[in-house]
Amino acid sequence: MNAAFRWLHQLTPFLFLLVPNAALGQDAPLRWGGDKAGGAPFIYEEPGKGDVGFEAELAAFLGKKLNRPPKFVQCDWDAIPDTLQRGNIDIALNGLEFLAEREAEFPSTIPYFVYTLRLIVNANDEAIRTWEDLKKPREKKLRVGVLRGSFAQRYMEDNFGKDIMVIPTKEVDETFQLVEERERMDATVQDSPAASYYVQGGLRPKLKVVGPPAHTGFYVILTNPKDVELRKQLNEALSQATASGELEKIYKKYGLWDTDQERLAYHQIRPWPKTAEEKPDETKEAPKEHLTIAGLADKIALAAWMTVKLACCAMPLAILLGMLVAVGRMYGPWPLKVVLTAYVEVLRGTPILLQMYVWFFLIPSLMRIIGGDELASWFTAAPFYVGIFGLAINYSAAEAENYRAGLQAIPKGQMEAALALGMSPMTAVRRIMLPQAFRIVIPPVTNDFIALFKDTSICSMILITELTGLYYQYKYDRELVLQLALTIGLIYLFISYPLSVLASRLEKRLSRGAHA
Amino acid sequence: MITVTELRKKRGANTVIDGISLTIRKGEVAAIVGPSGGGKSTLIRCLNALEPFQGGRIDVDGVSLQAEGTAKIPKATLLALRRKVGMVFQQFNLFPHMTALENVMSGPRFSIGVSRAEAEKIARPLLERVGLAQKADSKPDQLSGGQQQRVAIARALAVSPSVILFDEPTSALDPQMAAEVMAVILDLAKEGQTMVVVTHSTEFTKRAHVVHTLERGRLVSSVSN
Repeated sequence: MNAAFRWLHQLTPFLFLLVPNAALGQDAPLRWGGDKAGGAPFIYEEPGKGDVGFEAELAAFLGKKLNRPPKFVQCDWDAIPDTLQRGNIDIALNGLEFLAEREAEFPSTIPYFVYTLRLIVNANDEAIRTWEDLKKPREKKLRVGVLRGSFAQRYMEDNFGKDIMVIPTKEVDETFQLVEERERMDATVQDSPAASYYVQGGLRPKLKVVGPPAHTGFYVILTNPKDVELRKQLNEALSQATASGELEKIYKKYGLWDTDQERLAYHQIRPWPKTAEEKPDETKEAPKEHLTIAGLADKIALAAWMTVKLACCAMPLAILLGMLVAVGRMYGPWPLKVVLTAYVEVLRGTPILLQMYVWFFLIPSLMRIIGGDELASWFTAAPFYVGIFGLAINYSAAEAENYRAGLQAIPKGQMEAALALGMSPMTAVRRIMLPQAFRIVIPPVTNDFIALFKDTSICSMILITELTGLYYQYKYDRELVLQLALTIGLIYLFISYPLSVLASRLEKRLSRGAHA
Repeated sequence: MITVTELRKKRGANTVIDGISLTIRKGEVAAIVGPSGGGKSTLIRCLNALEPFQGGRIDVDGVSLQAEGTAKIPKATLLALRRKVGMVFQQFNLFPHMTALENVMSGPRFSIGVSRAEAEKIARPLLERVGLAQKADSKPDQLSGGQQQRVAIARALAVSPSVILFDEPTSALDPQMAAEVMAVILDLAKEGQTMVVVTHSTEFTKRAHVVHTLERGRLVSSVSN
């Protein structure tokens, strides 16, 4: 008993971390959630300056007014509201749009920024000049990137969903990279701050903004329903910042002050939150249909099919590669053994998520630096193929280890008998060793297949809409999210459970065979 | 046929073979006897280059094997040598994923490279010769030890080796099965097949042309019957 608790004693200095900050009194920090990955001009780091961005400065201002030191908490952008609900942050402040349906769960403050949606294309693109150009019939649908879970995603799906392929992406930065490359994305729709800062501000010279701004909306700060007092304080501080010109000063620093922002004061004195009927003219839209699981059935089926395709294409490749690697490690000359051991260890020792990013974003960029667009075009395969490649490479390391163990389990006499018959070592491996190893490794390989089946979810990070990706895209719908998570979870389970039953049966059968 | 000159082999610090010289003539049936650990198995495993050695040389039908670290034999020569020197193991070492027939066909098919049909033409009569024609489609785990060893002999014969090495072919078998296998080996001897047999069977040593006795890595006697 004593021994069991001794380690706990050593942890006591850290226990204060568990005490909710709010309990510490008046000067409790104002924990504000955002995502630095969203980048400039919202919140980002600059060497020597720390956190900068118009929202970072706004947070600093609010902290001063509320007499609470601001404390930034890094969240995943599309999970900022969830983080707020969990209680890890006090306010959500990071380009979050006002959405009437979100009000009940996350009451908003008055707006602090008026944004529009901007259409951004490659600077060399002459085919897309206006929003209407997106609707022109084409041989291949245009691929338009939007931030996953953003209002832009919904806007594009509702208004252009039939004519274009809406591709939800995780980061603004990677979306810009893809439009610059042109091979994998034709255009992107982003909120005006990103468009004016990066594209019109000249930081992304290979891109241009086309067409007029579409849809005017508001950035608001989200809070928890119970924090009535906090909301009041924030609203007062925001009105003050607008009236005193403090906001204008901050926004001008980032080139964001425009005629839209000049109307902020007008919007702020209107009753808030706006109800659907009371929306200002600019935001009037056709009443939206309510999303349901049944309504998403087609998309869920497609996503499930994509998950199955990814797994079923990647696994045979992984097995083939793994088999070759194992043979090389077992029977190859020593330099090959060294190289293959490094291959296996690097792939096993690094996360598959990171590997996937490397294949999809880093390698093409690197190739562009080395050999220009010509070389890069060889490495910008469609997301589906990169997904299969990334999964196959990662799992080839596990399969190589399976096969190595399998080959080592074969009695030594088998190889000797083959060699004594005059077979070349390669023939002996191919005809005698591998067929036997193949049987030995069936159970672990089946288990790996189940793991790979679930790891296909990684592909949601590289623009592939498989089951998990679909979940990310629709989890903004607070009424649907639970059903959606359950449905998708069950689909995974329904496919992986029979496989795991099969694996344990095979294991039993093969171990019986070994004793016979 | 086979000439062994001053063969020396170490395994770690142990000297396993300590300067053995002997000759095996064409058509000769040689028995190698002696206490366990005397180097009998190691000696014949050197003869088909399954084991390297540190001193001396071995000449088999015009191909010569040198001590480890000296002249390297080309791969093609090594494969040719092994086709000339068949081997039958104590533990049979049949390929478990193949039927008896496929086991016998494996040498012709994968070492010599003849077609499936050709290989079958070679294999079926050999299975008949060892008395197992009706077991052609059985997998090794469906055969008794004696049957497995007879398939192994047929498998060795299928590449028409000049000499067959037997490494204690009956030690893992009960007396009745051992007798079956011994009958096949004696039958081969009658037909003039050159053979080197490591054995404890006195019945066999009586019928061998020459009996070499190994003790502690040395050849202590060679007696002709």
